[in-house]
Amino acid sequence: MKLPLRINGAEGLVEILSPGPACRFRLGEGPEREADVRTPEPCVYSILLDGRSYDAHIEETPAGLVVVIDGHRFEIQVLDPRRWKRKSAHGVGEGPQAVAAPMPGKVVRVLVAAGHAVEPGQGLVVVEAMKMQNELRASRAGRVLSVSASEGAKVAAGEILVTLE
Amino acid sequence: MFRKVLIANRGEIAVRIIRTLREMGIATVAVYSEADRTSLHVRMADEAAAVGPAPSSESYLRIDRILAAARDRGADAIHPGYGFLSENADFAAACEDAGVVFIGPSAGAIRKMGSKTAARQTAIEGGTPVVPGTDHSVTLEEARAFSAAHGYPILLKAVAGGGGKGMRLVEHEADLESAFRNAASEAERAFRNPEIYVERYVSHSRHIEIQLVGDRHGNMIHLGERECSLQRRHQKVVEECPSPLVTLHPEMREAMGAAAIKAARAAGYWNAGTVEFLVDANHRFYFLEMNTRLQVEHPVTELVTGLDLVRVQVEIAAGLPLTIRQKDISWRGAAIEARIYAEDPYNDFLPFPGTLTRLTRPMGPGVRVDGCVYDGWTVPMEYDPLLAKLAVWGATRDQAIERMIRALREYDVGGIRTNIGFFRQILEDEELRAGRLHTGFIDEFFTRHRPPEPPAALAAVAALAAGLHTVSRGRPADADSTGPRMSAWLKSGRKDLLQ
Repeated sequence: MKLPLRINGAEGLVEILSPGPACRFRLGEGPEREADVRTPEPCVYSILLDGRSYDAHIEETPAGLVVVIDGHRFEIQVLDPRRWKRKSAHGVGEGPQAVAAPMPGKVVRVLVAAGHAVEPGQGLVVVEAMKMQNELRASRAGRVLSVSASEGAKVAAGEILVTLE
Repeated sequence: MFRKVLIANRGEIAVRIIRTLREMGIATVAVYSEADRTSLHVRMADEAAAVGPAPSSESYLRIDRILAAARDRGADAIHPGYGFLSENADFAAACEDAGVVFIGPSAGAIRKMGSKTAARQTAIEGGTPVVPGTDHSVTLEEARAFSAAHGYPILLKAVAGGGGKGMRLVEHEADLESAFRNAASEAERAFRNPEIYVERYVSHSRHIEIQLVGDRHGNMIHLGERECSLQRRHQKVVEECPSPLVTLHPEMREAMGAAAIKAARAAGYWNAGTVEFLVDANHRFYFLEMNTRLQVEHPVTELVTGLDLVRVQVEIAAGLPLTIRQKDISWRGAAIEARIYAEDPYNDFLPFPGTLTRLTRPMGPGVRVDGCVYDGWTVPMEYDPLLAKLAVWGATRDQAIERMIRALREYDVGGIRTNIGFFRQILEDEELRAGRLHTGFIDEFFTRHRPPEPPAALAAVAALAAGLHTVSRGRPADADSTGPRMSAWLKSGRKDLLQ
């Protein structure tokens, strides 16, 4: 089974010829290799490869898999081969800029309203999480298109609070 | 001695206090907000009482509800921990009025030292040098006037401060207004007191503090220093005892210890307390503030002195005289503590609340974990995201550092981001190894280093593990593939498994 994947942003390919315990696999176009693989706990893979011992811990997240080995973190998306070729070509344009919550928290203050002109560095919204307040600022000059944040509202990480023209 | 003690706190410090009380044969009462019903301190205590909704202003900061819980459960003393009401003189006075012993200093001593500006005045009167600053809270205009006279950078600090809350470094006039507003608002939320004062910012300074204990019979000793220069957002993240600077200049310990005792005596202080000093590049020290409570980083002092500071606090509160004299105190080896936070160190240390999906704690020689988390626990977003304090002891500072790196490598927390990997990186740093520390160390570290690149050999193993996991699940784990496509994967996966 050939699995194209993206590992910390870099593209790769792993082919599982036989799963554990006597695992045979191939990385990219490399030679066939063998590893001894056990799962002593759910989502934990004990891998003996070329005499070395590795404990790989796996987390399933909405954005893909997170694999942690010796405290090193790898974000891995296993891709569907049929969608592999379809890559989005459009880059980041000059269009509206969305200001999103950098962390889950609560909106404590909204400092602008739709239609306001803002300067670079001007405060837009203050979000609090774990007793720490963060002021989100405009990264460029522009006009406020919309404000979806309201004071006292709980917000998720990545939730758009303000859009700038 | 007390029969039952209520712990007016939550998280790791509540758990840590419960442990000593249990060793002393004293029953424990936990308090909890609606967000903390399943937190570890509630599960560990003998008894527990609800004190209100999740926001701390409606629960852990409610003096009336805490005292009602103490009365209802029949507690004869209250340990405030750190943060929350621990440096609130009104709370200490209210305990006294209610006939419950406050495990800490008197309300009068907290008033003299708990307010940062009053403490500066007490220190000046006691003849201890202080950093130039205002001796009262200021308005925005007064802060502007101070900067005009002393120049930038300046530090805005909460009069009621602690833990870096309500503190802002201001380097330019243009940032003053927004920094002042945010510091005051943060202070109001954290301490119910928005007052701000100003200090001149001394760059490349160290933060070294002296641990004191004194009884109600006039005996007071110091337990040496802690080096707390490694900070992010003005909050300590790595602390050690002894300080590498004091190890090179042993006379500093006696000088700072004597100055700390003098300042505390001027306030009529008893119980455990900490005097914080700023130490400049010429090793001159200045009084910063006194923390009239147990410190987060007290374990490093415990590891090198062999004392249990919570036990000492409880004995002093019960009216017992200190059984140890200054000459009995010795400092053995070296200890380091790392504060494990739910945060992303490579994204400005922003908090990262969430649910723990996996937890493996370090164990083995010389390792101590003061934690409050368990597998499946959700880190609440209402409170400080401290998950645990990892402290290690070693015969020398170098051995303690190696042991800390080893323990961090064993520490595995899944489901959320933590600063564990960052600590491993920073402890390898040559400047840190050489003990050349200052409070801007971490900010500067990021100008010298990038996030660590995992070894390529591990990336190959990670790819293999991801592949095996996907095969065992029968589908790729990025879940935007829908029904029919999933079953195609399933078929293909099963076919491969049969080969």
